Amino acid sequence: MNTILCVKWGDKYDRTYVEQLKNQCENNCSVPFNFYCLTDKPTQPYDVLLPTYWDKYYLEDRDFFWAYRKCYMFALNEDPQILPRIKGDKFLFLDLDVIIHQDLKYFFELPMDKPYIVRGWWNDTITVKSNFAKHKSTPINSSVIRWDRGQLETIVKKINKNAEVIFFTYPSVDNYFNHHWYNCWNEEGGFFKGFPKGDIYSWYKGNIFPEDMEKRKIREDHKICLFNNSAETNDVEELKSLW
Amino acid sequence: MVKIVSEGQNVNLQFTPELANDWKNAMLASSELNAGNYHYMTRRVLDSMNASQLVSKLWLVEELVKLDIKPKRVAILAGWFAQYIVPLLYDNFESIEWIKNFEIDQDVKEISYKFNKRYKDSNKYQCSIKDIMMKSLEEDFDIIINCACEHMYPMTKFYEWNPELQDPLYVLQSSDDDQYDDHINCVKDEFHLAEQANIVDIKYKGSKKLPNGMTRFMVIGK
Repeated sequence: MNTILCVKWGDKYDRTYVEQLKNQCENNCSVPFNFYCLTDKPTQPYDVLLPTYWDKYYLEDRDFFWAYRKCYMFALNEDPQILPRIKGDKFLFLDLDVIIHQDLKYFFELPMDKPYIVRGWWNDTITVKSNFAKHKSTPINSSVIRWDRGQLETIVKKINKNAEVIFFTYPSVDNYFNHHWYNCWNEEGGFFKGFPKGDIYSWYKGNIFPEDMEKRKIREDHKICLFNNSAETNDVEELKSLW
Repeated sequence: MVKIVSEGQNVNLQFTPELANDWKNAMLASSELNAGNYHYMTRRVLDSMNASQLVSKLWLVEELVKLDIKPKRVAILAGWFAQYIVPLLYDNFESIEWIKNFEIDQDVKEISYKFNKRYKDSNKYQCSIKDIMMKSLEEDFDIIINCACEHMYPMTKFYEWNPELQDPLYVLQSSDDDQYDDHINCVKDEFHLAEQANIVDIKYKGSKKLPNGMTRFMVIGK
């Protein structure tokens, strides 16, 4: 069974984002799917309470953008106390602020020898490599992730084993993934595979470096548009019509 | 052989034809790693060779010499290209048999091997890609050098990963300069560095103002 997941934590995004994402999925997915929202404040039948046991590692003075909570959803089989309600075998995670242009069925039919994550093709590979040790310019983006049940449990195990170091060292979950679960020197050789060029682009950053870098441009021939943690989808008239 | 001698100190870097050849080839290799007109690796190599980098490594070796340390197997944590520290150690300590540099940046490895080809070819130097805060070294060393403590989690985690190490001597350097994003673990002074790294048997501790204006702290001990 196919399952679409999102995460809503805190007040950055209100409930309408979840509803709009759910509506988008219903309007753009031609195969049956479950829908769940992992949240700290469950109010709807599709809501599932997020665990909090990593919160003790959050370092307030570091001002890191802390999206690590989405990794709880990888632990469906790891511990029966964690997220036991979530059904399904094929999982697709979507950030709350994405815009879906095309049928999500595509993602559920991908060959799953490896899990997928967004490869930000708009990144300059040279900048990515030269900033690797500085924990900047990550080429991957966890706004969309596709995996089969059990495929990402190893990430949760690794985080649990190294929680202090990971949460201290890496300013974002994407940066952590880039260091330990991707290989920007050998992109076919990493744990994650990047979604191919032409699938996912960024509203703010462009599409493919260097040939298609126009920003704030709708590309409806692509499957998903990312907004990178902005609430701008609510403010731009051109985008509202796509929700 | 030309000896580059540290001012007033009993430490030298021997500028030999072999070193000149290796360094020339390393610079050439770094200049070939480019994108368009942007020689991204050359910039990084030049940063790694500035006066402050040399001064901090000379200081380290000077203090080890004064302590009459006889190192045999040396681990360098996050040693970057290691073009200064490796020859400085071999030139000043006849006892050294093996130096291994643990890095996370895969671009570093190839250039580091160019700089230190003479040692690599004689099985005296290796560069390993490993996150030393999440994995064990898996071999024994009698000296652990970390000149990049400000870039990583406190050394206590390293000890947890390496309980099998046989009472090594630690040589640690760090900084109070927190203006850089990747300086994630700055310390106030050398006392703070020793306390954070749980160095209780302190053989040396001190600070030094580098040519770039940055103050570096160093602690040597167990």
